[in-house]
Amino acid sequence: MIMFELDQRIAEQLSTISLNSSVQVRCGNSNAFMVTASTMLPLMQMFEMGGVYITASRGAVEIIQAFESIGVDVSNIQFIDLVSSGILGGTDVEYSNIHFVDSPIMLESVLLRTLYILRTTSSARNFVFIDSVNALAIYNEDRMLAEYLHTFINTFRQREVLSIILNVPDQTPPLVLSNLDLYCTDLVDRGQVVIH
Amino acid sequence: MKKKITFDKEDEEFFGQVGSFGVPKFDGEMNGGIPRGFTMVAFTETGSGAELFAKQYVSPAEESENTLYISTNEGQPEIVRVFKKYGWPLDINVRTIGEEYNSNVLERELLASRYRLEGFRLEDIQRLAQTRFVDENNQDYLTEVTNEIMALGPYFRAAIDSLDFFLQRDDPNRVVAMIRMLQAHTQMYRGLLLISVSVNGLSPSIRQELASIADMVLTFGVRTVGSDFETSMIVSKFRNAPENLKMLVFRVTPEEGITPETVERIA
Amino acid sequence: MRGGIPYGSTVLASGTCGSGKTTLAMEFLVRGALAGEACAHFTATEPSVKLLENIRQYAFFDMNMVDTGLINVFDMDVLYSWLGLDKSTFDLDDVHALIKSITDIVNTIGVTRLVIDSVTTLCYKIKSEQLIRDFLFTLGKKLATLGCTTILISEITSATENAHWSSFGVEEAIADGIVVMGDVERMGHLLRFLQVVKMRGTSHSRAKHAIELTPLGVMLTPMLKWGSQTDSANWGA
Repeated sequence: MIMFELDQRIAEQLSTISLNSSVQVRCGNSNAFMVTASTMLPLMQMFEMGGVYITASRGAVEIIQAFESIGVDVSNIQFIDLVSSGILGGTDVEYSNIHFVDSPIMLESVLLRTLYILRTTSSARNFVFIDSVNALAIYNEDRMLAEYLHTFINTFRQREVLSIILNVPDQTPPLVLSNLDLYCTDLVDRGQVVIH
Repeated sequence: MKKKITFDKEDEEFFGQVGSFGVPKFDGEMNGGIPRGFTMVAFTETGSGAELFAKQYVSPAEESENTLYISTNEGQPEIVRVFKKYGWPLDINVRTIGEEYNSNVLERELLASRYRLEGFRLEDIQRLAQTRFVDENNQDYLTEVTNEIMALGPYFRAAIDSLDFFLQRDDPNRVVAMIRMLQAHTQMYRGLLLISVSVNGLSPSIRQELASIADMVLTFGVRTVGSDFETSMIVSKFRNAPENLKMLVFRVTPEEGITPETVERIA
Repeated sequence: MRGGIPYGSTVLASGTCGSGKTTLAMEFLVRGALAGEACAHFTATEPSVKLLENIRQYAFFDMNMVDTGLINVFDMDVLYSWLGLDKSTFDLDDVHALIKSITDIVNTIGVTRLVIDSVTTLCYKIKSEQLIRDFLFTLGKKLATLGCTTILISEITSATENAHWSSFGVEEAIADGIVVMGDVERMGHLLRFLQVVKMRGTSHSRAKHAIELTPLGVMLTPMLKWGSQTDSANWGA
């Protein structure tokens, strides 16, 4: 098992928020997984939440295996993978908790699939995690992405599902970033990382 | 590759080179009967006695299980009545296509008019909701009949009375193609096949085609002579024996059915 | 739609191939059956056996609904055959026979939800536009009188702004409601959409909604305004 040091301050910050919150989590290029794990772990382990992890940055298998390498079981989390359908044979996986959407372009399908999973899940308290705005911005026009995140956040806030939006701020389109600043109720800022 | 058929020596002796017309006097007039392997096409007129002739032709039934009578106009009881009347064998195979068609199609049409006039009852609706496929009503009788004849063994005897049924419901060219197949089968199996077809409404080209396929062409006619009817059979084609072409006048007697008149009438 | 389809309405569900019309209609029936309503589906586009197989995927569907007669699926081919209508063209008498048989069924088993899938294939057999109009109008009126809410499925080749919502142009004028289903192409991907163009007696959204066909039924969400055009010419405009 890889030794991994989690950012405990994120857990502390998360303990102050409610289910209808929407959290913007900013990370840098080098600490993305550490920030992701530091956010996910307290939700799964401390608050015993279920949830949906939407990945547009890497295939879901890779993310699951990254969690497994630090000794974290994510079999209770459902993954929506927007990457692997674009790779030949990418959807041929053994994990039953991965759902595929054809492309990161199909934003509405992602929303509907998330809602569907949440309706079928047994967990009472849930989160949705978007990894990441930057990856979605590769495929989607700024205004459409801003509109989508607006709808997304409000949809889950209304349903008392915690939404967590991961982004690398200096690579996020300004229009999208300023809107996130506006809609999100909380900010976990680990975007200004200086590597010595 | 041509199929090779072997015939038993015993069968060859038993069946001989020719088979009876079912009318001994016709046999006598035509060198003993119909050469084995012949397909006969009989062009008929209404009232010429051709239906009775078709039955009488199957009556010799050398092997009853290898004898098939296909009727498109009459029902089983009617055919049995005629066979009983003349003392002809009742154990041959009989297929009554007209009767089958009536029970399948006409009954269905009758039911459709009932539904249209009176509407659906609850039990009809329940049955409709449970019926997932349309009944196969457009049965392909032509293929069935062809297959049935093709399934008969060597030295078979078969009659189709009449081809009108198929010509009216099918593409005539397809009917002709089937007859061509049957002729080849009959020849190969040394069978005897009689096909009757009404001349009324038959197109000259189909008539020509049928006549050219047939090994023997018979024409059944009727005309009035004075106050009487005269029925006749004209043999207008007899493959490889043109000397047999002739006109035979006949009448129907309660004892023998079709009986050629030996005394020439003076009109 | 803020409440649903008003009782007794005739709604035209128009859509392109594979847009989810049949699935939507089947859900309409299954939801009705769940509420104890008698439902009927007349299918001409796919065999009833296949249709019943497809609705098994619904988590809320129970085969008992069919066995107990709450959901009745009729093959149009069988109905045509029973009525002697297995021919290519229907005349006035045939059309009336068809209306009579459908209303008979609705009346006899007390159907309150009905689907005709599709009205396009049916109308292909009715050659005159006037006769199609008469057929749909008379059928719609009779079904409304019987308190039956009807979905007429219509197959269209294109669901763009300028297209008709029906194949014959007649169906849309007669229907109380029109629901259009189709695909929006976004950068080479097809997104299914549903749009309620009209629904008499309701105040409804007329926006395009993206849909997803799931075992829990058709799920929908408003389509992104910046992504609801079929072409991407507006991007960055």
